[in-house]
Amino acid sequence: MVKKLKKTNNMKKISFTLNGELRYVTIDNSDILLEVLREKLGVKSPKCGCDNGDCGACTILLNGKSVRSCLIFAAEVEGQEITTLEGISKNGLSPLQKEFLAQNSFQCGFCAPGVILASTELLNNNPHPSLLQIKEAIAGNLCRCTGYTPIIKAIQTVADRNYEKTV
Amino acid sequence: MPIPHDFEYAKPSSVDEALDLLSEYGKNAKVLAGGTDLANLLKQGFPVPELMIDIKGLAELYQIKLTGDELFIGSLVTFTTIIKSDIIKKKFNILWDAAHLVASNGVRNRATMVGNICSAVACMDSAAPLLVHDAFIHLKSKNNERKLPVAQWFVDNRKTAINEDELVMGVSIQLPKQKYAGSYQKLMRYSGEDLSQANVGVLALEDSSFRVAFGSVGPIPKRSLKIEHFLDQKEITAAVIEEAKAMIETVIAPITDVRATKEYRMHMTKVMFERGLKEAIERLNLLKN
Amino acid sequence: MKNYKYIGKPIVKVDGKDKVTGAALYTDDIDFGPDLLYAEIVESVHAHAMIIGIETEEALKVPEVLAVVTGKDFPYTFGLYMKDRFIFAQDRVRFYGEQIAAVVARTPKAAKMGAELVRVHYKPLPKVTSQLDAIKEDCELLHPDLENYPHVPWFFPKAHTNIAHQRKIRKGDVDKAFAESDYVLEDEYFVPRYSHCAIEPHACVAKYDLSGRLTVWASSQSPHTQRHLFAEALAPLGIRHNDVRVIAPYVGGGFGSKAGVTMEIMAAAIAIKTPGHPVKIMWSREREFYNTYQRLGVVTKLKMGVSKDGKIKALKHDLYWDAGAYVEYGANVVNAVGLSAIGPYKVDNVWIDSYCIYTNLPPGGPYRGFGYSEFLFGLEIHINRIAKHLNIDPVEIRRINGIKEGDKLAYGASMNPSGLHQAIDKAAEAIEWGKKEVSTDPKKVIGKGFSLFWKAPAMPPNASSSCFLKLNEDASVNVMISGMDIGQGLLTVMAQIAGEVLTIDPSKIRVENPDTDRNPYEWQTVASHVTWSCGNAVKKAALDAKEQIFEMVSKARFIPKDTLYLEDETVKSTQHAYFNLPLKDFMITGIPMEDGSFKGGPILGRGVFMPEFTSTKADPETSQGGHPNVHYTVGAAGIKLEIDTETGKIKILKIVEAIDAGKVLNPSLAEGQIIGGVLQGISTVLYEDMRFDQRGKMLNPNFTDYKIPTALDIPDETVPIFVEVEQPDGPFGARGIGEHPMVPIAPLIANAIFDATGIRIKSLPITAEKICLALLEKNKEEK
Repeated sequence: MVKKLKKTNNMKKISFTLNGELRYVTIDNSDILLEVLREKLGVKSPKCGCDNGDCGACTILLNGKSVRSCLIFAAEVEGQEITTLEGISKNGLSPLQKEFLAQNSFQCGFCAPGVILASTELLNNNPHPSLLQIKEAIAGNLCRCTGYTPIIKAIQTVADRNYEKTV
Repeated sequence: MPIPHDFEYAKPSSVDEALDLLSEYGKNAKVLAGGTDLANLLKQGFPVPELMIDIKGLAELYQIKLTGDELFIGSLVTFTTIIKSDIIKKKFNILWDAAHLVASNGVRNRATMVGNICSAVACMDSAAPLLVHDAFIHLKSKNNERKLPVAQWFVDNRKTAINEDELVMGVSIQLPKQKYAGSYQKLMRYSGEDLSQANVGVLALEDSSFRVAFGSVGPIPKRSLKIEHFLDQKEITAAVIEEAKAMIETVIAPITDVRATKEYRMHMTKVMFERGLKEAIERLNLLKN
Repeated sequence: MKNYKYIGKPIVKVDGKDKVTGAALYTDDIDFGPDLLYAEIVESVHAHAMIIGIETEEALKVPEVLAVVTGKDFPYTFGLYMKDRFIFAQDRVRFYGEQIAAVVARTPKAAKMGAELVRVHYKPLPKVTSQLDAIKEDCELLHPDLENYPHVPWFFPKAHTNIAHQRKIRKGDVDKAFAESDYVLEDEYFVPRYSHCAIEPHACVAKYDLSGRLTVWASSQSPHTQRHLFAEALAPLGIRHNDVRVIAPYVGGGFGSKAGVTMEIMAAAIAIKTPGHPVKIMWSREREFYNTYQRLGVVTKLKMGVSKDGKIKALKHDLYWDAGAYVEYGANVVNAVGLSAIGPYKVDNVWIDSYCIYTNLPPGGPYRGFGYSEFLFGLEIHINRIAKHLNIDPVEIRRINGIKEGDKLAYGASMNPSGLHQAIDKAAEAIEWGKKEVSTDPKKVIGKGFSLFWKAPAMPPNASSSCFLKLNEDASVNVMISGMDIGQGLLTVMAQIAGEVLTIDPSKIRVENPDTDRNPYEWQTVASHVTWSCGNAVKKAALDAKEQIFEMVSKARFIPKDTLYLEDETVKSTQHAYFNLPLKDFMITGIPMEDGSFKGGPILGRGVFMPEFTSTKADPETSQGGHPNVHYTVGAAGIKLEIDTETGKIKILKIVEAIDAGKVLNPSLAEGQIIGGVLQGISTVLYEDMRFDQRGKMLNPNFTDYKIPTALDIPDETVPIFVEVEQPDGPFGARGIGEHPMVPIAPLIANAIFDATGIRIKSLPITAEKICLALLEKNKEEK
C-alpha cells in the first residue's frame, strides 16, 4: 500500500551530470528543463524560440540523444547526462565547430547551438551520412537566416573526412 | 512559459508501484513518458494533475519482443528506437515507415508510439499502421489485466478507452502467417516536420486480401471494411482503383480547418490511397520473388 | 580590377567563434541578478473596441506582484515616421492582442497570474479587416484624430478617412499613352500579410536607476533610433536623450521585425514606474506573430499598355495596402513602393497611387523587401502575360524594357549605374532559358520562370552613419559603429574595410555590438544600406586615422606627407626607401624625437556619412522633382521547378539569382544572403499562410501551423551570381543586397507554374493545395 504523497510546496534538490560535471540544483517539479539550465545553472546556449518543441533552438543532448529541453521537466533528468554546446566547446573546437566557422555557415547564430548538437549526434552515430540523412538530422532545427545549404556543406565536409566521436 | 501550478512527481521503480499510484490517484494523476504532448498541454493551460507518474524507470516497457507470431512493442519504445529496430523494419514495415514521418529527430528521441495513441489526437501517425494489423493494446491495472483490440481503443478526438487506473504496457500485433507488405502515406504541407492533414495505411496480403485505414479525416482513425471487401480477391487494375477511390467519399468525412480544406483532404486521401495501395502491392511482389 | 588584400575575400566572420561556441549572448541570456522583475502583458480580446474600464485590484493582491500599469500611466504617442501609436492602448484598442496593461512582478509565474486577474471592460466597435472596406464612404474611422498626428513632411494623411498616407506619381500622360498602345492589360493581384519569424523572439530589459538613467538592453536593429523614440516619448517623465542608453547584444535574426520600436518601449516605460529594478519583457512566439510588425498586405490593380514590339508605354499602378492598426513605420513601406512601383523598367508615362490604409489588424511595418516583394508579384506576372499575348519571349521583353543608367525613374531623377542587363543575361544562361525540360515521371510537369527585381533603401534624406576608430598600442583596432550585425556579417565587412585602408589584418580589428553611450550614431540597420552607408563612415574614419598618422610622421620625421604610404601595418615612403615605421610603435604614444620629447598622441579616427544629395522635396501631387532614393540595386532571377499534378506539390529543382552588388566585399557572406533570402522568399510563396478569424484574431501564431522551411524543404540547387557595376559613392564600389534576394521569388514561382501547367495564379500564398485544386478545376473545365 503506497502512502498518498503529501501535497507540499515542493522545492527539491536534484543532481545530474552537466557537460561532464556533477551539478546540483533546487527545483519545483513543474520547472521546465530549459528554464532550469538557463536561469539556475547559467547555461545559456540552449535558447527559447517557440516554447513548444517546434523550432529546435532548445535542443540539448540527453544521454547522447538530441531532445527538446522545453518539453522536459527538470525532475526527469535526475541522475542522467546532459551535454550542451558549452560541453562540446570545453576542450577546444570540435571538427564540426571548426568547419562551421571556416565556412561562415551561421548568420545570426541563434539556431547554432541546436544545429551543432543535432549534427554532432548525427556524426557520432553515422560518421558518413548521406545528404538526405544530414537534412533529416537537422530538420528539427529551424533557421531563418542561412537557407541551410552552408550548414549542410560544412557537415558534409566533416563527414567526408575521418570523424572521431565528439563527447 | 512557466506552468502556473506545481504537481507531485513520482518515478516508480516497478510496474506494481506505478499501478498502486494509479489506483490511488486515478484521474488526478497523469502518466509521463516522452512528455512531448503532455508538456505542451500543461503550458497551454490544460489542468495540472496532482501527481505526475514518470514511468521511464520501468525497464520492461522498453522492449521490442518477437515471441512466435506475436510482436510486442513496449509503451516506452520511442519512434527513434522503432526506426533503429531491424525487427520492426522487417516485420512491421508500415509502422517503420510512419515512424520516419513523425515530427523531427529531437522529438522522436523522446516521443513514444504508445504515447502517440494515448494522446489520440486526430493527426496521429501510429494509428493507421496499428489498425491495419489489428493490433492489441495491453492494459494493466492494480487488479486487472486486459487486451483491447485497437479498433475499440479510439473513442473520440483525444479520448481513448483507457480506464483511470490503467497503464498501457504496450501494443502487440499478430504477424500474418502469409507474406504481407504495408505502405503508409501522410499528407503534409511540406517535407519538414508537420502534423498530418490526412493519412492512409494499406496492407497487402499474399492471399489477395487488403487492409485499409484512414486517419486524420475524422475524429478517430478507422479501417474501411467496405473498401477492403471491394478489393478482396480482385485483380487491382486501374478501373478497380478508380472505383475504390470513389468509395472513399462515402467512408471519410474530412473537415476544413486552418491546415487544409475538406476538398483537398478528400482528393489527397484518394491519391494517397492509390499510391499506398500500389506501393504495398509492389513491395509484396518483391517479397514473393 | 584592383587587387585588394581583404576586400573581396571570404574572411571568416569576426563573431563566428562566439556563435559556434555558444558564447554569443542574446538579450535573454544576460543575467540581471535576483532583483530582476518580470512584466506580463494584458492583451485585447477585441479587434476594435472602446476601453470602458480596467480593474486591477485583484491582480495587485497576488503575492510578489509589485505594480500594474495601463495606458493612463503613459498618455504619450510615439512613432518613427508618424506619431500614431501608444505605449499601452488609451481610449480604445485597434487590433486583437493589442497591449492594454502590464503586471510587474518578482517572478514570471506571479506576473502571469496577475495578468490573468486584470479585468478589462470593452464596448466593441465595428471592426474593419479589409483595406478595401476601410476606404468605403461609411466606414468606421479607426483614427478619428488622424489630422493631428505629427508626421514627416513627405507624408500626406487624408483627414476624416482611414487613409493615413497617399503617395502619388504622375509622370507623362498615361491616358494618351494607353490610347496609343497596341495592347492594354488590366488586372488585380492579392498579397496577404506575412510574419518575419526570426528564431529569437523580441526581448527587452530596461532599468531606470536611481540616478535618473534609463538603460535598455534590447534585441534590436536600431539602438540609436530606439534611444531617440524612447527619449521623445518619455520626455514628459523628465527623460533627456543623454539619460537614455541602449545596449544592443547579439540579435537572433531581425528581417525588419526588430527595427523601429515595438514592445521595447513598454519595458522602458515600465522601468520608469519601478525605479531601481531591471524589468524584463520576453515576447512569446505567439506574440511574436500577432503583436510585432507584420509585413503589410496589399491589393494591387495594374494597367499596362505596350506597343506591339514589346515596349512598355504606360503603367497605372494602384496599391491598396492593409497597413494595420498603427502605421508609424508601415506608412513608409507604402511610400517607398509608391516611388518605385514601376519595377526596374523604363516607363515614360506613369500613374501610381499607393494608399496606406488603417485596418483592425496588427501593425504593418518593415519587413525584408519593404514592399517591393509585394508589388513585384503582380508586376512581373503582368509583364509575362503581356509577353505571351504579344508572342515575345519573357526574358526578351525584359531586355527590351530593362532600365539602364541615366533612364528616368518614376519620380524624374536618373537611374544609377547598374548591371541589370548583365544580370539578365547571366541568369538566363544559368537557368538554360529557352530549353524546355520534361519530367521522366508522367504525373509531373516542369516549368521555368524568370523575374527581374530591384530595390532602393527607403530612408529619410538625412539617415546617417558614423564611426569612431581607435588604434591601440599594438596597432590592433577597435572600430565603433552602431550598425548591427543581424546575421548578415556587417561587423566582419566593416573590419575588412578598415583593414584594407590601414593595411591591418581584420583578425586584429574588433567591431562589436554597440552601446549608444559609447558608439556613435547609426540611423538603423535596415534598408540594405549599412554596407554602403556605415561602410562609408568606417572607410572615412580609417582614412581619417591614416591622415593623422601621416601628418604625425611627416611632422616628426620631416618626410613629405604625399610620399607616405601604408604597407603591412608599417608607414613607408616612396622617397625614402629605408624609412620603416611600424604602426605599433606609436599609435598611442606619439613619435619620439631626438630631444626626448614626443610629437602627436593617440590616433583616433572619425568618419560620418550622410548622403547630401537626396531630398524628399517634390510636388505632392506628382512626386516629380525629388531625389528620395539614394540608388537602386538590381537583379534578375530564374527558376526551374517540378509540379506533381496529382498533389500540387512543388519541388524547386534550380533557382538562380544574379545581383549587381557593385563590389562584393565578402563573397561567402554575400552568397549567404542570396541562399537565405531565396529560401525566405520561397517560404512566403509555398508555405506561409497567415489566417485570421472573424474576430480579427490570428488563428495560427505558431510554427505548428505557420510553416517556415526546414532543411528538408530547400531547393535542389541555388546558384548565386554576382555582377559588379561599381556604385560610385559606395565603399570600394559596394551597394547593399541584403533584402533583394527574396524580392523576385513570388512572381518567379507563379510564372514557372504557368509555364508548367497553364494555370495563372494571382494571389499568395501558392500552396500545394491551391495548385492542386486549380488543376482539378482546369481538368474539369477541359472535359
